This record gives sequence, structure tokens and C-alpha cells, in this order.
Amino acid sequence: MFISDCRREFYDVIVSQRVLLLVASDVDALCACKILQALFQCDHVQYTLVPASGWQELETAFLEHKDQFKYFVLINCGANVDLLEILQPEEDTFFFVCDSHRPINVVNVYNDTQIKLLVKQDDDLGVPAYDDIFRDDEDEEEDSENESEGSEPSEKRRRFEEDIIERTMKRRQRREWEARRREILFDYEQYEYHGTSSAMVMFDLAWIMSKDLNDMLWWAIVGLTDQWIQDKITQMKYVTDIGILQRHVSRHNHRNEDEENSLSIDCMRIAFEYDLRLALYQHWSLYESLCNTSYTSASLKLWSVQGQKRLHEFLADMGLPLKQVKQKFNSMDMSLKENLREMIEESANKFGMKDLRVQTFSIHFGFKNKFSASDIVYATASLMENIEKEGPETTNFIKALDSLSRGNLDKLHQGLALAKKQLRAIQQTVASCICTNLVISQGPFLYCSLMEGTPDVKLFSKPVSLCLLSKYLLKSFVCSTKNKRCKLLPLIMAAPMDVEQGTVIMVGIPPETESSDKKNFFGRAFEKAADSTNSRTLHNHFDMSIIELKTEDRSKFLDALISLLS
Amino acid sequence: MPVLAKQSERMRQFKNKGKNAADLRRQRVEVNVELRKAKKDEQILKRRNISFSLMEENLSPEDKRNEIVQFSLEEIVEAVNGSNEELQLQATQAARRMLSRQKEPPINQIINLGIIPRLVEFLTCADNASLQFEAAWALTNIAAGNSDHTKAVVEGGAIPAFISLLSSPHMHISEQSVWALGNIAGDGALYRDALINCSVVPPLLALVSPVTPVGFLRNITWTLSNLCRNKNPYPPLDAVNKILPVLICLMEHEDKEIISDSCWALSYLTDGSNDRIQIVLDTGILPRVVELMASPELIIMTPALRAIGNVVTGTDEQTQAAIDAGVLAVLPCLLRHAKPTIQKEAAWTLSNIAAGPCQQIQQLITCGLLPPLVELLDKGDFKAQKEAVWAVANFTTGGTVEQMVELVRSGVLKPLLNLLLAKDSKTILIILDTISNLFLAAEKLGETDRLCLLVEELDGLEKIEALQTHENNTVYRAALNIIEKYFSGEENPDLEPGTGQDGLYDFSVKKQDFNF
Repeated sequence: MFISDCRREFYDVIVSQRVLLLVASDVDALCACKILQALFQCDHVQYTLVPASGWQELETAFLEHKDQFKYFVLINCGANVDLLEILQPEEDTFFFVCDSHRPINVVNVYNDTQIKLLVKQDDDLGVPAYDDIFRDDEDEEEDSENESEGSEPSEKRRRFEEDIIERTMKRRQRREWEARRREILFDYEQYEYHGTSSAMVMFDLAWIMSKDLNDMLWWAIVGLTDQWIQDKITQMKYVTDIGILQRHVSRHNHRNEDEENSLSIDCMRIAFEYDLRLALYQHWSLYESLCNTSYTSASLKLWSVQGQKRLHEFLADMGLPLKQVKQKFNSMDMSLKENLREMIEESANKFGMKDLRVQTFSIHFGFKNKFSASDIVYATASLMENIEKEGPETTNFIKALDSLSRGNLDKLHQGLALAKKQLRAIQQTVASCICTNLVISQGPFLYCSLMEGTPDVKLFSKPVSLCLLSKYLLKSFVCSTKNKRCKLLPLIMAAPMDVEQGTVIMVGIPPETESSDKKNFFGRAFEKAADSTNSRTLHNHFDMSIIELKTEDRSKFLDALISLLS
Repeated sequence: MPVLAKQSERMRQFKNKGKNAADLRRQRVEVNVELRKAKKDEQILKRRNISFSLMEENLSPEDKRNEIVQFSLEEIVEAVNGSNEELQLQATQAARRMLSRQKEPPINQIINLGIIPRLVEFLTCADNASLQFEAAWALTNIAAGNSDHTKAVVEGGAIPAFISLLSSPHMHISEQSVWALGNIAGDGALYRDALINCSVVPPLLALVSPVTPVGFLRNITWTLSNLCRNKNPYPPLDAVNKILPVLICLMEHEDKEIISDSCWALSYLTDGSNDRIQIVLDTGILPRVVELMASPELIIMTPALRAIGNVVTGTDEQTQAAIDAGVLAVLPCLLRHAKPTIQKEAAWTLSNIAAGPCQQIQQLITCGLLPPLVELLDKGDFKAQKEAVWAVANFTTGGTVEQMVELVRSGVLKPLLNLLLAKDSKTILIILDTISNLFLAAEKLGETDRLCLLVEELDGLEKIEALQTHENNTVYRAALNIIEKYFSGEENPDLEPGTGQDGLYDFSVKKQDFNF
């Protein structure tokens, strides 16, 4: 069921309990987790945190802890699958689910006792009506029959219309109802998409309880920015939510507006900005950022010689010397930096890049620490998918989580370095895929498969990195191809996952159009194709459109997918 | 003594003490049955209301397919009275449809149209089966209303028409007629006998055959049960004698509803004077009824238990026949049944067996009925507890001194004394009488003081003393009588010899090893 009063039905309930926090490994989940942890610290709530990167981990964690805990909080996992079905919990176990995955499983929605959903009510959920998908009238009938069982027969009986046609009628009715139910559920479950960021939901809770701090607000901003960078939400939704957060930002950061009321430079300040959409540019060189940002790279077609020429023309148009743009942004001439944003925007317009600036937020603390929300997202995501093994499985998770605290600047910087590596790798892979025509049209969708031995292929065995790569590749492909039909196709991308086990990871993403609703039908399609071909697949990821599959089964799986979607 | 007068008056209610056969039987309170029935009807209505709108919706396409024209009441009258056969059929069907909707069928309106004689006439149109069927169904549903409604159908001349339709070559028409006749018979003894006088029984029984479909057979069984139903007067003997062998066959059927309705019929037939009970006993069906009493199906167990309960209200010989059929082996289970109504009926049955001669009481002890009786007295549903109190009271009225000792040993006193806290003064009076009976037995054994001690130890004295302030005068006097007689301490010289015989007071008596 949906929780309407977050405080009374969720927080007040768990505040006196031992709680198990199960947190998915995406940046929004980490941010939501940070906010909740801060609240728990205030109120001395005993909790245990367990990372869950997929359904298997979630199940294992539940089985390991179900004896000690009765209260489970799930962040960015659990909403889109029938939890009671897969976890088989005892009746006195309760799940509080804060998850942006949509659609929400209908059983989760209509379970009144064990499943409590922390979901923003104004999100357009489109949940089917209870009566359309659940039916218990027949049980009722039998119940009342049982009650009167054994009583004396009636003296007189009327013959009802139903006596003649009752059975066939009921059967027919039942069949019709079931067909309609299937249809409704199909429509409802067909597309996968994302709702309001979990970090924002948690921040809302903190705010309702008047326990919101500036740090929490920052995490909410990072959570939302993660959704935007991962392309999980529409532009419209992003702008709306930015507006909501902006009001909180001005409430929390109104001081420092005049001299008398100023804060120490060491204090943290959040500011709304209309910033450049250039990845990590304040921690990189402008040139590198331009080259490795998907938006600029795709628009300028940097994989080609002409593209490189266009980049130089673009720089020349702004009057920025190569020497200046290639050195660290921090070291660029102050005079050049002064009107940089306006200057870049003006020239970008001429080169067809009309959306180079975006609404976002930045954070300042101390003299030299200034980060944009997107910087944090890139850094944290890279730490999460760091492929250099540094210890047990959970090390990356803990490190990524820590990097969100202001006190752990070293980790953040390490993350920034990793993020640059990741973006470079993505850009190079995109360029080589386009130049060697690796993106093939399969009819209903585009397909691209990375070969074993491709540089950085190991990085793309991780879901978030592979998704980013797919999105950048599709964007670039759409800019490069002349085939108008192909511009409207979704993309499936495959990369080697585990060579020893002979598995690939496969991800499907929706078409790259300006008005995209970011709804993804690959989850259901993957499921069906796997079923019909008996392919050995593993649907472990919380996003249904990411699967693992045996390499040998790939071709029959793809064939089934093509015929299914044609 | 007033208390004693009261007692003797009640004594007459026990079959072995009284003189008048009609007074022997403690009849079931009819109100209970009425209430149960009303509740069921309400549930059926309630249930049907839920599905009503759904059904209506789903019927309309069906209607359209059959191209059925909507008739107003006026149009129905016109068409029914007209000479166009097609229109007659359509109008009759329209009326039948109205009458067979679940919610508020317009029975009164249809009757007021004055078309019943016409519908009865249609029953005789042997060349138009559809018309016969629609008319039969419509009349069935009118007859299913209240007594005035049934009356309207009967006075329209429907009885002979329906009886002759029992032999219709069309099975659905004869089935519908069975149903209609069942409704007429269910109205009461008057119409039941009217049907029987019109010779309904032979053609009805002729419909029972090994190849009759189950649904049809259910309708026949129900109609037969209505022909056995109601007293004042009882159904005519010759009809009963004809129906009984068929009922006995039906009780062997595999369908539980058929068995259930046959058992109900049997329970109606046994709910009467001893000669009526005897007619049923003579068929030798009793062992089968006892077997069905142990059925796991509530709808079978309930009427079978009712029939046996009725039988044991009869003579000692009739009760003995039930005991010989094995009723005492089944009763413990039923006394412990989860459903309070079953507990109650089982205890009622037991109470009438306990009202028998001491040989039957002995069989009751031998068959292990005392432990479940004590359990029921202790933890049963209140209505069942009341019946259990009657069983104990009857036991103490007819039992030998040794049997009384056995009863006290089984631990009956504690729950019995606890029930003195009940609100119901009639129950309290029976318990006080029972206690008096036990003291009379104790006096015979010279063990009065031990019983006094036991009653005191079980907090019984306290409760009896408290009853001296009871608002009911009879209760007060009965309680006072016991106190004066057995608990007035040293003042009572009668007690002295009993306690003085072995020279010491034995305070160590526990109820388990109580020994007269």
C-alpha cells in the first residue's frame, strides 16, 4: 500500500525498532541512504546497512537477516516485483519500499499489511483499479454458504434466471474478466520507467519532520542529478523537480546575501546555477571536457576528422587559445573565465548546440572546494563500478557512499579521476563503434556488441557504465547516420560479462528522441524472448532491461527478440 | 411445599415419570428454527444483491440475441389474454423474467394483473411446450412468495394442472412442476394435504428412477420433504407410508444434498407422536441414520442428528432402538463438535436418553458419555450447557444410587455448581433440583456430610447462599431449602449420626476419590 503520512506510518514506526536497510547500488539510492542515515543518527535508531546490487543479493541478505529483523527498508529496489512472492516473509515482517522503479508491482500496491510504499503520490502511477485485477467474489459466496450450512431447507424457493445460465454465464464472465485483466496488466507493465528520485522522497520526509539539513538537501540534489545523467527521467520531470529543490535551496542558503549576515567561508553553501553541460570541466581542462561530453562530442561528431576541425573552429569562434583550453580549468586565465558561460553558449548556438547550458546546483565549502552536482554523480558512480579490486564486494559501495560526505574529499577526488577515465573510455569506444560501423540495424532495433579484447571492455561489464556507453553511443549514432528510420530505433548493447562462465551483459535503451518519455519496453521483451527460446538468462538487475545471458544463447535470443518486436 | 409442587410439575415433562404421552416430550423451541431460517434467507438475499447488477448487465446481450421485446405490464396482460400464440409466449416469458430477477420481483403486480388463471390455462397447452414451461416457471415463482401469493396460484387452479404435468414427456417441464408443487406444499399443512388429496404422491414418486439426473432428483427430494413437513395435522398416513420407502432409497444416494433433504424429511416425520416415530422405526432405517449422523458433512449430520433426537423423545423401546443402532457411540464426537448448534442438539438428544430407565442410563455410562458431558457442561456454548444441565438433571431423577456416585465421580459437580452463576433462573432451578437429588442419594448412603464438604470445597455453598438473595422467589426458596436441610451445621441433629459413625471428620476428601 501507499503510505500517505510518511512520518506517522513510516518513520514513527521504525524509529523504535531495529531496522535493516537494503540499498541498491545507484547514486540516487546512496543519496537517499545518506539522508536516512543522518536521520537515524539524530534519533539513535539501530540499523544495519546491507548493499544489494541485484535480486539475488537482496534475497540472500533477506534470508540472512530475517530472523533478527522484522523491519526492512528497501531503497531503489523492490517496488517492481512481487516482494512477498520472492521473499516469502513471515506475517510479522514489514517492508518499507522507497524505490523509483516503475511500474510498481500491483500486489505491492494492494497489500495492506506488509508492504508500505514510500512513493510520491503525485507521480503519474497509473495503477490499475483493484477490482480490475483482483477478484474474490467467489470465495465470498462459498463463505456464506458455509455459514448457513446445516440449516433447515427453505419451505419455498424461487427459480432465478441464473439457474439456467448461471454456470456458462459465470464461466464466460470469468474468461472475459481474465482476458481484460491480462490486457490491463500488459498495458501497465509493458514499459519500465522511473519515478521521483528516492533521495528527494527521503528529503521530503526529513523536511516534513523539520529535520532537514543543508547536507541532506545536497544529497537530494545529487540524487535527482543522477536520474538526469542516467537519462532515467524526462527533461520535463527534471526541470519540475529542480524547481522544487530550488525553493528548499533558497530557504536553506539565504544567508550570506549581504555583508552583515555572512557565513564563514568554511560553511557549506548550495547555489542554483545555469551551468555548462560539460562533464567535470571544473576539474579537467575545458578541451578534455568538450571532447568527452556526450552532448558536445555527438553534436560536433568528434570521431571524424571534420569533427575535430569543427571543434577547433568552435574554440576559435569563442576566441579561446588552444593553450588555455588544454590546461587545467583551475589554471585558466581569470579574464577568460569571467564570461566563459555566456561566451560558450553564444558560440555553441552557432554550431547547433542550443542546450549547452542546464539548470543545476553547485556546492561550495572552503576556499577551493566547488563542485557541481553532476561532478558528484560521475565520481560516485565511478567509485561504485571501480573495476580494480580493492577488497571484498562491498568495498566499492562503502567507498562510493563515503565519497558523498564532505569529510571524505580524498575519496571524492579519487572518484573524479576514475570518472575521467570512464568518460574517456566511453568516448573512445563510441568513436571506434561508429567508425567501424559496429551499430547494426536489426529491423525493430539497433544492435551493437562489444568484442572480447576491445580496450576497456571490462569496464563495460558493469551495468551503469554500459548504460552510459549505450546512451552516448546511441546519441552519436543518431547524429552520424543519414538513415531517418534508424534515428528512431532503440538500441540493444551487449558486452562480455564473465569470460570464464561465458556470459554477456545486455542492455536495451529507448530511442533517442527529443520528446522521449524515457519508457523502456525491453524488460518485458527480454523476458518473453528468453521464455520462448529457453535461453539461459539471469534477470538479476533491478532494472528489467539489463540482463545477463549465456554467450551461446545470444543468437537465438536475438532472433526471438526480432520476431517479437517486428 | 411449593418447591416440591414445582418439581412434580416438571417431573411430568420427563417421559418416564409423567402420565400424559403428549407431555412427556420436551419439544424443541420452534422460535429457534424460525430464526435460523430467517437468517439464511437474509444471507441468500444479501448474497444475491451483490451479484445482482452484474447479472443484469450480462443478461441484456443475451436478451438482445434472443430478440426479446420488452413488455410493459399492460402489454403483458393484453398479449396473455390475446389469441396470438407467439405473443402469448413472449409475454409469459417477459412476466417470468420479471419474476425471476433477484431483487424485488413484482409478484403482487403480476397477481393483480389477474393473469394467473390464464397462466394455469397455458399449463395445459400440450402442443406448446415452451409456453407450458414459461407459465410453469412464472407460477413457481409466484407460489414462492408469501402465503397470499401461494394462495393466488392454488385458487387459480394450478394444483391439478401441475400434477398432470408431472407426467409431461418434457423433462424440464415436469421438473418445473415438481418445483412448483414443492412451493405449494411448503406453504403449510393445508395445501400439503390438498396436494396429497389430489394424488400428487404416485406420479411424483414415479419420477424417481436410477436414470433421473441429479439436479432433477434434488428437486424431487426437496418437494417430498415438504410433503412430509408440518404438523397439526400430521401428513396423512397412507401418503407417508408411500413416501418412506423412496426416502430410504434416496438416503443411499451419493449426492449429499439429496441425502440431506431426505434426512430432513425423516426428521419431520419423526417430529411427532410416538406412533409416527414408530412408522419410521419400522422401516429399519435407524442404523443408516446413525451412520449419517457421523457424516463429516454438516448438511447431512444436522438433519440426521435431528431425526435421532426426535426418535429418543419416544417410548423407552423406541429410545432403545436408537441405542441399539449405535447412537451412543456417535454422540461423544458430536458433543465435542466445533459448531455450537451441533453441541446443543447432541446434548438435547443425550438428555432424553438420560431420562430413560436406569438400564439405559447404565448404557450411557458404559459407552463413555459422562466425560464429554462434563466437558460440555464446563466449556460448551451456553445453549449447549443448558441442555447438558437437563441431561444431568434427568440422570439424577432416574438413576440408581450407584449411578449417581458414578456421575459425581466423573467430576460433574464443579461445572454444574459454576453454572449457578448463570443469569437464567430456569437453569439455576434445574441445577438446585439436581443438587437436591444428589443429596437424597447421599442420605440413602449416609454420606450427606461428605457431599456437603465436597460442595463447600468447590465453592458451591457460597454460590447457593448467594442465591438466597436471587430476585426469583422460586430460586430463593430452592436455595434456602438446600441450605436449611444440609448446611445448617450443628443445629441439624440429623447430620450428627452420619459424621459420628467413624468418630472423625474427614476433611481430606477430594472430588476425584469421593466415595459414598
